[in-house]
Amino acid sequence: MLASIIEFIAHFHPVLVHLPIGFLLAGLLLQWLSGKDKYVSLRPAIPVILLGGAVGATISCITGYLLSVSDDYDLVLINWHQWMGISVGIISWFVWLKQRNSGKPFSKTILSVVLFLLILVTGHLGGSLTHGSDYLTKPLGDIFKGDSIPATVIKPLPDVQEALIYENIVRPILQTKCYSCHGANKQKGKLRMDDTLMLMKGGKDGKVIISGNAGNSEIIKRLLLPVDNEGHMSPKEKPQPSENQVALLYWWINNGASFTKKVKETDQPDRIKPVLLALQNEPEVKSAVTSIPAKPVKKADDKMMEQLKRKGIVVLPVAQNSNYLMADFISDTLITNDDLRLLLSLKEQLIWLKIGNTNLNDTDMTLISQLHNLTRLSIEHTVISDKGIIQLKSLQKLQYLNLVGTRVTAAGVLQLKEIKTLLSLFLYQTNVSKADWPALQNAFPKTQVDSGGYSLETLPTDTMEVKAKK
Amino acid sequence: MTQKELHNQRLLREAEQAVMRMHTRRHFLKESAMGLGALALGSFLGGCGRKEGPISNIVFDPAHPLLPKLPPFPGKAKSVIYLHMAGAPSQLELFDYKPELMKMDGQDCPPSLLEGKRFAFIRGVPKMMGPQVKFSKHGQSGAWISENMPHLATIADELCFLKAVTTDQFNHAPAQLLVHTGSPRMGRPSLGSWVTYGLGTENQNLPGFVVLTSGGKNPDAGKSVWGSGFLPSVYQGVQCRSEGDPVLFMKDPDGMDRDLRKASIEAINKVNQEEYTAYNDPEILSRISQYEMAYKMQISAPEVMNINEEPAYIHEMYGTKPGQACFANNVLLARRLVEKGVRFVQLFDWGWDSHGSEESLAIDFGFINKCRKVDKCITALILDLKQRGLLDETLVVWGGEFGRTPMQENREGKKMPFKGRDHHTEAFTIWMAGAGIKKGFSYGETDEIGYSAISGKVEPFDIQATILNQLGFDHEKFTYQFQGRPFRLTDTRGRVIDEILA
Repeated sequence: MLASIIEFIAHFHPVLVHLPIGFLLAGLLLQWLSGKDKYVSLRPAIPVILLGGAVGATISCITGYLLSVSDDYDLVLINWHQWMGISVGIISWFVWLKQRNSGKPFSKTILSVVLFLLILVTGHLGGSLTHGSDYLTKPLGDIFKGDSIPATVIKPLPDVQEALIYENIVRPILQTKCYSCHGANKQKGKLRMDDTLMLMKGGKDGKVIISGNAGNSEIIKRLLLPVDNEGHMSPKEKPQPSENQVALLYWWINNGASFTKKVKETDQPDRIKPVLLALQNEPEVKSAVTSIPAKPVKKADDKMMEQLKRKGIVVLPVAQNSNYLMADFISDTLITNDDLRLLLSLKEQLIWLKIGNTNLNDTDMTLISQLHNLTRLSIEHTVISDKGIIQLKSLQKLQYLNLVGTRVTAAGVLQLKEIKTLLSLFLYQTNVSKADWPALQNAFPKTQVDSGGYSLETLPTDTMEVKAKK
Repeated sequence: MTQKELHNQRLLREAEQAVMRMHTRRHFLKESAMGLGALALGSFLGGCGRKEGPISNIVFDPAHPLLPKLPPFPGKAKSVIYLHMAGAPSQLELFDYKPELMKMDGQDCPPSLLEGKRFAFIRGVPKMMGPQVKFSKHGQSGAWISENMPHLATIADELCFLKAVTTDQFNHAPAQLLVHTGSPRMGRPSLGSWVTYGLGTENQNLPGFVVLTSGGKNPDAGKSVWGSGFLPSVYQGVQCRSEGDPVLFMKDPDGMDRDLRKASIEAINKVNQEEYTAYNDPEILSRISQYEMAYKMQISAPEVMNINEEPAYIHEMYGTKPGQACFANNVLLARRLVEKGVRFVQLFDWGWDSHGSEESLAIDFGFINKCRKVDKCITALILDLKQRGLLDETLVVWGGEFGRTPMQENREGKKMPFKGRDHHTEAFTIWMAGAGIKKGFSYGETDEIGYSAISGKVEPFDIQATILNQLGFDHEKFTYQFQGRPFRLTDTRGRVIDEILA
């Protein structure tokens, strides 16, 4: 009860501190101005303002002290902030006293200047405590680098068995997921994890790691709590460690939480083996972003796009904020040479083209083959033959090619092996025969070539009904 | 002016006056003071907690509501086929193999599984029931699939199983609403509506969101599961008939030629246009566009909707029954629609509610027959999309609205005539395939008896977030302003299941 009242009062500190700052600065300003004849009339106001400032500063000191004990802050910063704040409080009383029974003007000036500087520094330290020490300089970017934690990317390990468990596996996880609150800058719950001794010492509720007993270690318990639970780590709004990362920490603690051992020197239960192996691989790029070029491109000519749209052809950027285009002839099956010429004017931007089920023919392929940025091309169910597709060789960025229902043969398709980027190739209902298959697979070792023609054998049970015996 | 017209005019005047009465001078002053204050406050607070980037910059053009729009980022999926087994199929007889449960078969359910739990029908102490079918591992991925789905087992390496899906609704209607609209209560737009609202559709001669039902009944939640909620009504699912002509009145009646039809639609639209000028209701513009769509559909739809145009070997592959109402026909139709650029095809198949209360709802009879009706055609769908180069950009989702208990149902504490399982919210299986989802992968685990999820737990919100992600949307930024706040499909929940993205 008492603790929560204290905490309640303490939380007023960030609000209250601004009063003495304003009062004292105003008082100092008036004091300086009243030295000039023009502003002599201000003089009676000064003691009142300074008194208000001194009282405010004192209250701020008290609430500030209460706040410092009820929450976790950077110890060094808070120490400085505390003592400077107390100095502000004391000196502000002196300045007030000096003002009332004005002694020698000299000492008054010195006191005032000191007070002014102290207010600036204390205020700045307070700001650093609440907003982070790099708050002010952050917008200036590289000019002033704050001492924030460097962003770390977990790099793949060349040989996971040779890796040091703590240094190469555990520390990077802690660094990316824990240090921001339990590191050099902050020690929430009095727990500091970036130092091995302090990590093993634990936080205000005792040890967080019990070597050899992951299930009873506070750190693992916290990680496994449901996200909505208040005690869950990392806090709900912060990036969460992956399941594999939790599994690695669990395994590390169960193996004695050693800071020096190598992976090969420890027990590796079946469960952890694939997780360890995964550390050797490049992290998979997990985003829905498909093959769009990284290189920026200038905006396509609106007029050309408009003309195509008027013909019922879907032409759109592939995404908001992208100038790359896709085109789909879904409602337009009769293509004219004009349409293709319009497409050609968009060749820098056009990356996905669906032009199947149309009257596209071999001679049109000369134009298509100039759309050099295409990554996806669908020309299914057209009369295109080998003569046409050979020209596609020039599409050196093509990743997806749909030739379903065209007249191509293996001889023509084999010519496309020069396209090194090709990932998938669809040949269902073409003149490619089974006999051509080995040659095609040799020619396209990295491409998924789909011949289609799947059939499903009808099982007797497919049409039978099971019935209960009456 | 007839009496009726006079009456109508009077009504209209009254309505207008009623509206004006709301705006007295005092009212105006009061509102503007508050309004200006709120405006100022809004701009002060604007910087608080806002993430970078626009919340949602989808422009709704009521005159062309279905024109294709661009997603925030390039999506892997262009279209979605969602296969919903309404009634909730038993994961324990399909994909979640639990040999330990077999050992407990026939024993009383331990009290630890019952304390503090509520079931739809189970009362007292039920008996445990082991898997009622044989399982084996399939494909290089070694996925466990039961003998109830022998065809699907052959393409195990194309599928991605989510084995620890959970929900908090144990009745069909709210659970179905949760899966499809993100809320167990009515009134929210469905997944397909959100998607067509956000992306439009590429083929302007066909609806963007088509619904096909089978199994003799609509899903329990009714048409709200494909409703548009607060989104403009043009985005609701267009339900096609499952038997006979999918869409009625496609042909012009005798004596009406195409020109006359065109003229009559133009006349109707002209009247509607005048209505719009008078009332400014965007729904009127949607109506105009729908008339135009209907006119265009007369040409495009009969061809697309006619599965008889498919060659015999495709019918053989899907196991269709032309002319009858069946799931296989709908699945084949779904492929044809997606091929023609329809954005979202939603299939519901009713009859999976295997309580054991009658033979058709028994795990060892009716359930097996249901499986046989969907197994081959779903497998055919995946293979057919694959060979056409469409699986790359079509996301196929299969699942029910919840799972079924590892206990045998004992309705009202009595023994049931057949073997059945009750509704279960704590674990069930949903699988996805295509469009940038990992192949031959399984995410999430249940405990030894399949009672609850122990790792890789996901909720319907997470699945919705993942589907939107594959289509190019950030589910947290894809919002619609309604009743004074931005709404989104996943509301306050949802996480993209990164683990299953290829």
